[in-house]
Amino acid sequence: MRRLPVYLLLDTSGSMNGEPIEAVKNGVQVMISSLRQNPQAIETAFISVITFDSEARQIIPLTDLASFQMADIRATGVTALGNALKLVAEKIDTEVAKTTAEQKGDWKPLVFIMTDGIPTDDWQVGLAEFKKRKTAFTVACAAGSGADTNILKQITDNVVSLDTADSASIGKFFLWVTASIGVSSTKVEDSGKDVQGLNELPPPPAELNIVV
Amino acid sequence: MADINDYMQRLLKSKEIDVSGKRARLVDEFIADEDNIFTFEQIISNQQILIDRFMNKLKVYDIINQHLQIPNGTVDKYYEYKFDLIKLGKGEIIFSDLEYPEDFGLTYNNETETLSGIPKQSGDFKINFLFRIKGENHHTDTHRKPISLIINADPKSLWKNIPSDEGKDDAWKIANFWKPDNENAFEKLGPKKIVVASKRGRSHANVGSFRDDHFAYKFLESNGWSIVCVADGAGSAKLSRQGSKIACEAVIEYFENNMTQEISDSIDEIARFYETRNQPPANQPEIENPGSAALQNSEETKEQAANTTPLTETETTIQTDPAAEIQKKIKLFLYNNLGKASFAAHKKLADFAKEQNCQLKDLHSTLIFALFKKYESGYAVLTFGVGDCPIGLINQDFTALKLMNWLDVGEFGGGTRFITMPEIFTSEKFPTRFNFEFISDFSYLVLMTDGIYDPKFVVEANLEKLEAWKGFINDLDGTNDANAKVEFNADNHEIANQLSEWMDFWSPGNHDDRTLAIVF
Repeated sequence: MRRLPVYLLLDTSGSMNGEPIEAVKNGVQVMISSLRQNPQAIETAFISVITFDSEARQIIPLTDLASFQMADIRATGVTALGNALKLVAEKIDTEVAKTTAEQKGDWKPLVFIMTDGIPTDDWQVGLAEFKKRKTAFTVACAAGSGADTNILKQITDNVVSLDTADSASIGKFFLWVTASIGVSSTKVEDSGKDVQGLNELPPPPAELNIVV
Repeated sequence: MADINDYMQRLLKSKEIDVSGKRARLVDEFIADEDNIFTFEQIISNQQILIDRFMNKLKVYDIINQHLQIPNGTVDKYYEYKFDLIKLGKGEIIFSDLEYPEDFGLTYNNETETLSGIPKQSGDFKINFLFRIKGENHHTDTHRKPISLIINADPKSLWKNIPSDEGKDDAWKIANFWKPDNENAFEKLGPKKIVVASKRGRSHANVGSFRDDHFAYKFLESNGWSIVCVADGAGSAKLSRQGSKIACEAVIEYFENNMTQEISDSIDEIARFYETRNQPPANQPEIENPGSAALQNSEETKEQAANTTPLTETETTIQTDPAAEIQKKIKLFLYNNLGKASFAAHKKLADFAKEQNCQLKDLHSTLIFALFKKYESGYAVLTFGVGDCPIGLINQDFTALKLMNWLDVGEFGGGTRFITMPEIFTSEKFPTRFNFEFISDFSYLVLMTDGIYDPKFVVEANLEKLEAWKGFINDLDGTNDANAKVEFNADNHEIANQLSEWMDFWSPGNHDDRTLAIVF
């Protein structure tokens, strides 16, 4: 079976403490419960969570929705976004199956990044690694005014921003991520083709500003 | 044993009572008194009781607050989880129980400390782990530790089955090119039988959309040829259900009108050659595109292809080797007849697009078809294919299998091709889309859409493996999870329904339309 891998890269730096981190936790929970009700997503989508603060770690390896259990996350430290990009590149290599003559590989992964700050590490090194991997699309979300959309724009063309990193806005972002994963899982199953880009996804809600 | 002297000294100090100098002796006398010693011992003992009680409270608190996530379950799927009470309670837990909703399907056995059973309801449940620790007895109230347990719905139950014509009338059906969600048939097809079923995929049923696959077949009484067509409308094309239908019907119509006696005679001649040799061609005929020169660099390639003058044998008379000559004749026949039929399908689609004022790509559909005819010592089988649907031909004793067409697949083939694409007719690959086989007899001639091929063969490479086809036929014969069996018997009038039921097989991630035509 061809899996649709989804990587969530979540900023857990100190500035996310309080309402933002709670909103992220809740957002992931609601997302998982909702996707579990989608017959295509529950068969196809596999989710991994990578958090980054002073360092990046994969707190949940690529896991099917039916057995997914969210781990506890805490906000502390600085913003090692570059490490997170490097880590996701490594995980794509080891976790995502490639298509060969003998087997059908997984679908190209979807990557969602959410950050409220400016990277504190040598992020361009991580980015160079990440760029070598093929994804169906990568979406970066700048949560609140502390994030630098110019940097995110160098990671991906698909950048959205939230005016404030409050629970309502973060909740909306995760609802849109949920819808995007749902649509992507339907799309790959129906057409037998990878999702090509953001234009195939449902339009983001008004709370998400598309950064051009 | 704590020292009474120490204790008194600290007590007096804490009360700021001066016992220095001569007063010190008073303390010595005081702590030698039996009553005072007794009181002191009681204090120490009561302190110990308080500490023990507090420590128990702390143990309970730690157990309750220790992170415990038990594995998720799925409705109707056996679940079993053994609690690790040693780890959870550091050896302190002496009694455990679980509190969960009624009619939950799971039960807790506190002897084996295991939660097991078959979950009946889906949802995020809060269940309570009840326990007592050492030092407590059955009079003590149990402590409660809330745990979450996620029970997933049975994935099968999440799929809806909404008829594509729900609440619609006939006028709507006509205007929307409606076709039945499921179709099947069993009939005599010349000297053989055909059983075929086409089913709307679950992904379409879930949203009430149409079946995009199609099939058609026909036996031409006048010359003994049989034709079988299967087409798969592209999911992304809005009228592909009609595209696949037009493609199939156009091919049948083409041969009904154009398989003249003269044309039939010409292939009969080829067949006789193999009959006398009584062996199939050594290799698949290596067809160069005989019409490519005429088709290339033309702005009106479509029209040209339609009007390509049949190539005459005069061009081939330089050949002297009979086998080479016959191969040349095969090429010509395939190109001039099957090629024309495929182009007729394309033309019909183009005309329809014009008539409907829609784009040709709205009708995108793959197309495979096979013609066969029985001769004295065997069958001639001719095929054409565009797209990712395979045609398999299996010999009588199941010792040889021939995949008749190559598939336009994914990254390697540069993406799927459709009969609606004009460029396929001018491509240098066009002549390789045909095939010819002379076979003494065959057990099965199989045409299928990717809705069958993806779950059952997985990759293209398997389509060329005899073992994979054996597995496929065994699967049809009942070797499957659902115990669905198709009895290939000419007298089995239930066979079409059996095939239709077999085609409900469950395969995660594979919910496309499914069409399978088997000539046997």
